[in-house]
Amino acid sequence: MSAFTPEQEKVLVAWTKRYPYPNMGLVEALRSVQEWHRCVTPAAAARVAELFELPFSRVWGVATFFPSFTTKPTGRHRVGLCHGLSCSLAGSDKMETCLEETLGTKAFETSADGKLSWEPMECLGACEQGPALLVNDRLQGQATPDKIAKLKELK
Amino acid sequence: MAKRVKFKLNGREIEAEEGRLVIDAAKDVGVEIPHYCYHPALGNPGNCRMCVVEVAGAPKPQISCRTAVREGLDVQSDSAAAKRAQASALELHLVNHPLDCPVCDQSGECGLQDYYMKIGQYQSQVRENKQHKDKRVEAGPHVMLDQERCILCTRCTRFVENVTKTYELGVFRRGHAERVELTPGKVLDNDYSGNVVDICPVGALTDRDFRYKVRVWYLDKTDSVCPGCSRGCAVSVHTNTKRPWHNDGKRVARLKPRYNPEINGHWMCDEGRYGFGSLDRDRLGRVLRLAPREEELSWDAACAAIASELRGGAVAFVASGMLSNEDWSAAKTLFAGAKFYFTPEPDQIGAEDALLKRKEKVPNLKAAEALGLKSGSFDELAADLDAGRVRVLYVVERDLGRIWGEERAKTLVSRAACGVFQGPNACAVSEAFRYRLPATAYVEESGRFTNFEGKVSKYEKALEPIGSAKPDWEIFDAIRAALETSGKGAAA
Amino acid sequence: MTKILTKHFDEATLHELATYERLGGYQGLKKALAMAPADVTAEVVKSNLRGLGGAGFPTGAKWGTVPPTDKVPGPRYVVVNCDESEPGCFKDRVLVTRAPHQLIEGLLIAAHAVGARQTFIFIRGEYQNQYDVLARAVAEAAAAGHAKHASIDLMRGAGAYISGLDTALLETMEGKKAWPRQPPPFPTVAGLMGQPTVVNNVETLSMLPFILREGGEAFAKIGSAKNGGTVVFSVSGHVEKPGVYEVPMGTKLRDVLALAGGVRGGRKLKCVIPGGTSMPPLMEKDLDLALDFDAIRAAGTFLGAGGMIVLDETADAVEVAHNIERFLAHESCGQCTPCREGSFWNEEILHRMLHGKATAEDAPNLARIGENITGKVICALGDTVGMVTRAYLQRFPEDFKKRVSSNG
Repeated sequence: MSAFTPEQEKVLVAWTKRYPYPNMGLVEALRSVQEWHRCVTPAAAARVAELFELPFSRVWGVATFFPSFTTKPTGRHRVGLCHGLSCSLAGSDKMETCLEETLGTKAFETSADGKLSWEPMECLGACEQGPALLVNDRLQGQATPDKIAKLKELK
Repeated sequence: MAKRVKFKLNGREIEAEEGRLVIDAAKDVGVEIPHYCYHPALGNPGNCRMCVVEVAGAPKPQISCRTAVREGLDVQSDSAAAKRAQASALELHLVNHPLDCPVCDQSGECGLQDYYMKIGQYQSQVRENKQHKDKRVEAGPHVMLDQERCILCTRCTRFVENVTKTYELGVFRRGHAERVELTPGKVLDNDYSGNVVDICPVGALTDRDFRYKVRVWYLDKTDSVCPGCSRGCAVSVHTNTKRPWHNDGKRVARLKPRYNPEINGHWMCDEGRYGFGSLDRDRLGRVLRLAPREEELSWDAACAAIASELRGGAVAFVASGMLSNEDWSAAKTLFAGAKFYFTPEPDQIGAEDALLKRKEKVPNLKAAEALGLKSGSFDELAADLDAGRVRVLYVVERDLGRIWGEERAKTLVSRAACGVFQGPNACAVSEAFRYRLPATAYVEESGRFTNFEGKVSKYEKALEPIGSAKPDWEIFDAIRAALETSGKGAAA
Repeated sequence: MTKILTKHFDEATLHELATYERLGGYQGLKKALAMAPADVTAEVVKSNLRGLGGAGFPTGAKWGTVPPTDKVPGPRYVVVNCDESEPGCFKDRVLVTRAPHQLIEGLLIAAHAVGARQTFIFIRGEYQNQYDVLARAVAEAAAAGHAKHASIDLMRGAGAYISGLDTALLETMEGKKAWPRQPPPFPTVAGLMGQPTVVNNVETLSMLPFILREGGEAFAKIGSAKNGGTVVFSVSGHVEKPGVYEVPMGTKLRDVLALAGGVRGGRKLKCVIPGGTSMPPLMEKDLDLALDFDAIRAAGTFLGAGGMIVLDETADAVEVAHNIERFLAHESCGQCTPCREGSFWNEEILHRMLHGKATAEDAPNLARIGENITGKVICALGDTVGMVTRAYLQRFPEDFKKRVSSNG
């Protein structure tokens, strides 16, 4: 049984055809898998390898290399808090504590309902708005207790 | 033919092919530059940074595995700066290495140890805790993996990616979390898995068959040839005679492939590598007449008795591709006029592949062919025996029970007026012969095999024979001498 | 002060094609397409444009190393490096958000110059908002007929800093781990899928419309010797007004700081990281340094990608070094031993120093380890691992000493 729905398989096949060479779509395909499953499991990576006609070990190497891919599910909303130098100077440690207390989970842990997880991230390219907050790969400006409290209202 | 150019290595002028890697050109003239990741058959990823050398005119140290020889190149591999760079690369290799040499099987042949003795700084500056990874992974039937000892040179992963294309191992995760691991769901069970142990420069991949058996510095190494199939891979036989109470008392501790660009390159298959287990099983050491009652003979008496049997003619000579070129040649002379039977039967036929493995699981059928010897079929031989047309059945290193079945073989052997069995090991039917002569195993003699392509390889004597065993050709020659003493050749 | 890239940033709809065209957009491309490719490259050589992604390599010269098709047949590619991840850098994010067409026009000019029929914008995955902006702008440009000579496609990364290094970026694009390659061959000779590939940064390519429109000489005149045009600094840290500031090459550090409102709260300056955290800091004595690639190099550090982080007197050098080394240890790709093990070791020592267990041997040991890494690794990240701590040790030895005496 495939790790994917027929629609998802179509998306993956489309990634094999998007660029001049099939393998060029691999990282994007794994991004899709991460989005659907909130993680990339060996079974899912193995199916991707089949579709891309690549050795599984190569795909698994890529899946375990890049920080965007996780082996255990993140929350449906994946929250990142930058702890690069500028954000650290701007007090990212206090916002980490705020995330931990407000969401009730430690870094890299997913809430029991599967909705939220948060993690410190390396420089998010928003140093002038530090500490920078990221939700599902979209920058949210400076992290504040208010913004963090609102994360709980996400569906 | 590539152009030959002159370059300088440690002040000495050297000639080499233009474009040859400095690390190889240095080795050609006996200068070993320390390295882990580079392997001539697996490429030069340049990740270990151990082979750093000083190159005149270069702003920083260069790695000799990615520096090509060119006219006028001036390289220092043992200057103070080069050695310092090598020592610092070594120090960084040891930051997370467990230094568990006393319990590591690689001790004595470990790249970390060797270079540490050569260029190491002897006081560790590491005060931090080392990273913990999996120390005991059963990677496959033959190989254990210790991730803590691994220095991530990627030789093993390149082997399974580029040589066997089986992808059982990979480098997964990233940075200092990175490790060599089994690909999920896979087991390192390809037909060449043992090679990863050989190419691992440290104790991360060790041989399950050899682990904890004997320390490598007690072993003696002898050039040999694998008798496992007609490829005839160059091997080194590692024998344990200095500590006979180690290695479960077995004299051969392991086989390692020996580089031979013409035949096997750097590799050998697992079948050949681990196939020596039966070497010392049921060894024959005494010259015996078994019937009418068991009695030990001198070689002279046995040869004289057998010579007189041969004089009567109707001789069938059974052998196998286990014979050396020398054995075949002596057999051809002694048994001129006899019928030969050596064609491989199903028990000597197995799997072959595109890499090394050949389907004939004996090393030397080619020499018989080269001497013009023709094999009759074993069905024919059975019919002749059954009909009493064979007076003397002379069998060398061949188990007829595996061709005809044990019971039938015994019956057929008994139809010959005189049976002679010669070989290193007893077999199921060896008791059915009148004479039983002990022969040396290939590790106890020197000789030559001719492989399927006609390439001749020499193997050397690694061990003393058991009891009074002699090489086959010596036995044949002694019988021939006995025949000639009485002035007659073997009868047709 | 002369501005090139941010000149029209007060236009609210600059990201839209109509606004961009109204302000002279795509005129440079039009001019370029009417020229022979070699002449476009010659104009860029004349401009003294340097690679603004960090390396500072002359852009025209880089293009000039793309071999002719009779030597290396097959397709050529241009890849936009929009994997901005160096701590302290955010100008590419601002440039693609506000002026996506400026980048696209530059990309299409570059494609014409090097004969590429296919181009790619590689953007970090965390810039999803910017990806959307770019995707829309690419569609607009194509619909307007600007991209007839070359296609543009987008691709996202997956969170690895090292993907921002050109050869690691190409590995990522090929669906592999982002392990840097070891040139030669350089990407312009054998890049994406082994074909000649020009990898240029967002800011670099964004300069091209001006250069083609106004001429290489006009661009060169704006900057300092051998450093044409302007540079966009991303300024953050202890300043009153963090943000992007575009200044001509050769502008004094003091003046850039003034644009950002100076050190916050009137505090005393400790140091300024000029180009992102991988670069050693400049000191108060350097305030009158005229900032360009060569002057900063002469001062012992690098312009990098212009990620300027200002540190005031409250900053502690051990904490700063630890933050940077932690980042590098996290982002080390693991390919070569000195970087993989050295970054881990550095971070561990600095971590211990921060937690009250510093010893007198730590500082000399860190200096020694750093020396053993820099210059003996595969890529620039590894060089940085060895360089950063040494830089802070050398400039702020008292901060490290304090950690030893404050123990226990």
